Amino acid sequence: MENTGFWIKNEAGRVQFKGGKNDWSDAADIAGGCPYFLLDYEDEIVAEEARSCYNCRFRRWTAASFVCLKSKKSSVTRD
Amino acid sequence: MKIFVGIDDTDSIDQGATGESANQLIKLIEERRWGICQGLTRHQLLLHPAIPYTSHNSSMCFTADLEDANLHSLIEEAGKFLEQNSAPGSDPGLCVAIEEHLKRAEELIAYGYETKCRVMTKAEAYGLARKLGVHLSEHGGAGIGVIGALAGVGLRMTKNDGRFQGKLKLKRPGAAMSVAEIKNSSPVETVQSLAGRILRDDEELRLGKKLKTVLLNGKRTLLVYRPEGELGWKTCTNAHLEDY
Repeated sequence: MENTGFWIKNEAGRVQFKGGKNDWSDAADIAGGCPYFLLDYEDEIVAEEARSCYNCRFRRWTAASFVCLKSKKSSVTRD
Repeated sequence: MKIFVGIDDTDSIDQGATGESANQLIKLIEERRWGICQGLTRHQLLLHPAIPYTSHNSSMCFTADLEDANLHSLIEEAGKFLEQNSAPGSDPGLCVAIEEHLKRAEELIAYGYETKCRVMTKAEAYGLARKLGVHLSEHGGAGIGVIGALAGVGLRMTKNDGRFQGKLKLKRPGAAMSVAEIKNSSPVETVQSLAGRILRDDEELRLGKKLKTVLLNGKRTLLVYRPEGELGWKTCTNAHLEDY
């Protein structure tokens, strides 16, 4: 696995959040500067701060964390 | 008759949400006066790389009381609705179970729990639906939404799974309310602590920002907790409800 900043490249080559499901602070920080952030439907909101990767339409949950569907493999260093 | 309606996989990453589709279906059923629908619940299924879910792998279920004569129309129109309104690239599935006709609900319940811990196949879903006499149909794409649609019904039947769709509108965040006040002014049936204690009607709690309810012991339940260092109750946060 490649490991840079907030992100890990997982076995499938997808950009996965290193903080798991409970790093509320980093998830909010990343979303704060992300041009792709889009708030998901109300039922899927999990973070108290609206602007958080955890609440973003483009996060895909995994068993341990989520992958960002707007990050290309090459953008794993974006943090 | 009382029916359970489950739907799944009506969205894509760019469009739609299965909760919204279920709400529109409820509206359609009630506008046509086929029956009266009750609370819509969201049920979390397994997160696994082998499952091609959009982003959270959850399915939706609601119950309805309807006249027997309307069942056929409901199934037909619900199928058409999913075909016409689901997002391109989605794989919608529909399940309709009639409570009084279901002889072995425990098998459906077991299936629901199994979808939380194992990758299931369409063949298994259709096999069980046939065996139990439950309607199950696919309405686009690869049709794998039938797995979640059937599971949603099974999990709703447990009476102990899922979050209710939408949030309660009570007073402003930070306001105090008694349990009795909350029960009288909302669909909440019981207020319970995370540890399982049911609060008395005269007990008070402080409202948080977002008020969500869950299905516990067959009741629409508002969960509360005691913040560290405090004596009073407060409504749970989204993070607390993640596992429901």
